[in-house]
Amino acid sequence: MREQSEIKDDIVGRDRIHVVMFFLSLIFMVLGILILVWIVKIQTTYTVDPRVIGLFRPVEQKHVDQPVRGRILATDGRPLALSAPLYDLYMDCTVRKADYAEDGKVEKEREWQNKARELARYLSAEFRDRSADEYANLILGGRANGSRYLRLQRNLDLSTIQRVKTFPLFKEGPYTGGIIVEEHEERIYPYDSLARRVIGYVKEQNRIGLESSFDSELHGTEGYEWRRVTDKKRWIRDLDSAAVKVQDGNDIRTTLNVDFQDIADKALRAQIDANEDIRAGICIIMEAKTGAIRAMVNLSRGATPQTVLWERDNLALREVGEQGSVMKTVTLLSVVEDGYVKSLEQTIPTNNGLVPKYNQDVHILDYQRETGKRAISVMHGFEISSNYVFAYLAENYYGKQPQELFDHIYSYRLGEAFDFDISGLGKPMVNRPGTPGWSGTTLGTTAYGYGISVTPLHVATFYNGIANKGRMMKPYLVESIEKDGKVVRKFVPSALNESICSPATADTVTRALRAVVNSGTATRLRGAKLPVCGKTGTARVVLTPEERKGSNDPYVDIYGRKKNQGTFVGFFPADNPKYTILVTVYSYLSNKSFYGGTMPALAVREIVDKIYALDSDWRPELHRTSRVPDMKAEEK
Amino acid sequence: MSFKSFWHSIGNTFRAIRSGELLLRIRADKYYMHIMYLFLLMWMTIALSLQVDKTLTRVGDNKVALEQLRIHHAEKEAALVKLHSASAAQIRLKELGSEATLPQEPATVIKRK
Repeated sequence: MREQSEIKDDIVGRDRIHVVMFFLSLIFMVLGILILVWIVKIQTTYTVDPRVIGLFRPVEQKHVDQPVRGRILATDGRPLALSAPLYDLYMDCTVRKADYAEDGKVEKEREWQNKARELARYLSAEFRDRSADEYANLILGGRANGSRYLRLQRNLDLSTIQRVKTFPLFKEGPYTGGIIVEEHEERIYPYDSLARRVIGYVKEQNRIGLESSFDSELHGTEGYEWRRVTDKKRWIRDLDSAAVKVQDGNDIRTTLNVDFQDIADKALRAQIDANEDIRAGICIIMEAKTGAIRAMVNLSRGATPQTVLWERDNLALREVGEQGSVMKTVTLLSVVEDGYVKSLEQTIPTNNGLVPKYNQDVHILDYQRETGKRAISVMHGFEISSNYVFAYLAENYYGKQPQELFDHIYSYRLGEAFDFDISGLGKPMVNRPGTPGWSGTTLGTTAYGYGISVTPLHVATFYNGIANKGRMMKPYLVESIEKDGKVVRKFVPSALNESICSPATADTVTRALRAVVNSGTATRLRGAKLPVCGKTGTARVVLTPEERKGSNDPYVDIYGRKKNQGTFVGFFPADNPKYTILVTVYSYLSNKSFYGGTMPALAVREIVDKIYALDSDWRPELHRTSRVPDMKAEEK
Repeated sequence: MSFKSFWHSIGNTFRAIRSGELLLRIRADKYYMHIMYLFLLMWMTIALSLQVDKTLTRVGDNKVALEQLRIHHAEKEAALVKLHSASAAQIRLKELGSEATLPQEPATVIKRK
């Protein structure tokens, strides 16, 4: 026992390490117990200060990915509208100002100002809108006045903004250089005003054109992901959180041909620019076989002739009005189809140009005087666009059953707003028997183009039906919906009416339309590079109550001024129609008269001549008849 | 287990800790490999997590680069297309003093017989 106690004493006495270890172990045990107590407390009674919670939670934020809006393409794939961000450049002129205002930092402030002057030189050289001194005064003045949001430039592209970021001072970043760049998504229209009303736009509540009609396709779907910050303070996707992938919008391929649109736009501008009484002009070019619209121009001035010509309103779709003599073709087609007129050479008595209840037609008096004849052929009546001839035909053949003519009008789809790729197609107004607008003369006036109000698109579609041998195609603007160049949905041509008339009737009416160009009211088109057939129309426009100002005549104001519209509508080439074309011009209130055979016909001629030169269908072929022998080296 | 033996065990544990023999007494050496394996797993988890962070950072950078390329492409395409209309070409030709105009006749096609 004695030996053991000695050993123990030796251990305790000599080995102090054990003692130290004992106390260390004790401290750790006490700490452990405290931790256990703390855990129990946290689990039961402890509530965390909300301000502290944020510090312990992982830093995460929801990042919303905006889809890229789809492009609108021309038929050959050239973009008519596409999206890219633009950037606005601002500057916080007060950056570090308070810091440098402290004692001993005057030199730093001077250095900042020197850099600002250098920056001004760079900005002046880049944008060339202000001198370097003006930029320097702007920035340093802003610093003196405490401007934190000084606008320097707007709508810069990415290349420019990347260059600007390398300029002196700005390259030091926002906290020293004061650079502020704000990005905003913009729609780019590379062809400026070309087809702008057809392409349209979406700006908050203002939505028009294809941009509006196909917004759901173009817009795409937003995506989102949760992001967390890494140890190196970089934001990365948090793979533990849910994410939805962004779906960019689909592209819309239209039927528009940029070259045709450009040609039509230019031809129409030339005609309107030359006459300050013209308020607006439209042009529609439609492919006969399919109904695909290759060009749709809608140019108009503002309230006064001095305003710039621009695509302000889609008149081709929205302008419902009496179209005048171009509607005589409706009557002619009906009487030929119904067999009332067996031949265009069939004659009717002239009766001094008088049909009971109707105004006298002075054209007939001229005709009688010039020819001495007392009968006129239907063909010639059509050529000279005689109101008498068509009122006579209508009263004579449909007087007892007027509904028969109106049935035809409805079958030509001239009585309703058919479905179209752009919303807003005007609804026609037809005064048919039984409606409040029907009177004793409505049948005859309808026969020569009054009493029935339609849009230019309705007229073009009807003429396209004749060009297509009676098959009336539905006009359309969108060929397909595409995603990354791959067709997602294809729109095929469809017919509004499979047969508005027999092919023989269509041929007969085409012959009459050709005669109008050869020897009628549209002789300005006689020498066009492709044979054109069509009809002119001149109509007075019903005035608004404000325009009338007390006049009892709905078409004339108290100063005797009228608003006219002149139209040419037809198709070419006459023997095998490929395109239907309509040009209409609208005048301001004016004492002058405007005819479809003048400005519209001249515009059509220019368009036809240029399309002839561009379209590959009419390329002359040269057959190789000889063969150049192969070259051989001469043997020596 | 009685109250007395419980306190005895606690006393033994304290004594084992004091003499640095606790791990040996509970035969922790038997689980050495397991402990090392756990350590390895934890090390690998941390290393992989750092690699994932690095990769995702690169993915983010590449996304930004791709977006910038897309914007550049759209801007350049718009600028090019602007020049690619008959009117724009005519204006440019006029500016350059050229007498060239739009074709007046379609191009002739030469075909083999």
